[in-house]
Amino acid sequence: MTSRAVLALRGRLSPFLSAVSRPGFCAPCVQLHTEKTLKTEDQKTLSLVPYREQHTEASAIATRKRYSPFQNTSSNVDYALARADDLINWARKTSLWPLTFGLACCAVEMMHFAAPRYDMDRFGVVFRASPRQADCILVAGTVTNKMAPALRKVYDQMPHPRWVVSMGSCANGGGYYHYSYSVVRGCDRIIPVDIYVPGCPPTAEALLYSVLQLQKKIKRMKSTQIWYRK
Amino acid sequence: MSVYLSKWRNLSQAIKQRGGIIGSILHLYRTDDLKYGDLVGEDKFGNKYYQNDMFFIASNRWVDYAPQFGMDYDGSQIPAEWHRWMHHMTDDPPTVVPPVNYKWLPLHKENKTGTAGEYVPYSTTRPRIQAWQPPSKA
Repeated sequence: MTSRAVLALRGRLSPFLSAVSRPGFCAPCVQLHTEKTLKTEDQKTLSLVPYREQHTEASAIATRKRYSPFQNTSSNVDYALARADDLINWARKTSLWPLTFGLACCAVEMMHFAAPRYDMDRFGVVFRASPRQADCILVAGTVTNKMAPALRKVYDQMPHPRWVVSMGSCANGGGYYHYSYSVVRGCDRIIPVDIYVPGCPPTAEALLYSVLQLQKKIKRMKSTQIWYRK
Repeated sequence: MSVYLSKWRNLSQAIKQRGGIIGSILHLYRTDDLKYGDLVGEDKFGNKYYQNDMFFIASNRWVDYAPQFGMDYDGSQIPAEWHRWMHHMTDDPPTVVPPVNYKWLPLHKENKTGTAGEYVPYSTTRPRIQAWQPPSKA
């Protein structure tokens, strides 16, 4: 609690502090900067190099990245909601159950993703056969006009929140069959897509990466924070 | 019996390489994996690359992402010269056989999707098809 208070105080004082701390992260840096600006003040009118040097120097300091994407909370309520969101997002992203929607050869790569070499189970990804139990739908393959109403129906049956991964060229935008008379030119004409996986077909590794990207996206969700704002 | 002894030896070596019990627990929390191997090299971002052929192929080479990435590490943070080695395209790491360095080669950039620096596609041509607007109920 005390640390929170200190942080809040620091936040309030930040306009005054920033004037002191912005030019460099430590005292020697400040000194270096002032020396350089004094030395090169006449050069500044001639070239951009001094500015460039300053830029690289400032960005070279690496700090450890925190787990949560919600860092700058302004009040205690905000802090609590951000942590609640972190917990919910953690639970959602580590037990992502996709619905298999294999339509073509991409489905074979989807099976490889499930097989021991790529082993989706280690990410908590378990295929479900029913849309009622699924969080996410993997559209793998060409969506034909005949399949389109079925895809929409299955998507509508999924409980919220739901995500869509469009796998392969055909699902992304028709792909090879773009100019065919019976093919939907991308499944995003029917359902909203979160992740597009390029490739024809994408490798199982690419699909794995897409699931990791989806996990990153879920990690940024602000469910309770948006609810509170409303 | 010797099987169990060797397992125990592997585990203790892995713990030793991670700097004790606490270091191992932190490493397990971050990567869900506890292995030991030879440090092959380090890239310009600070990622460390390891190899131990005791493990099956594809898991015998691995990367320890630099601490600056935190829990948001990503396969795209591996630069191209190490990507070849990680994917078994070559057995020579860039520390042994340095890659050809042209001055026009751009700096490696990680996948910026979901951040402010993400790529947004745009079209410079006029749309040829007019999309159907569904009638609004209001």
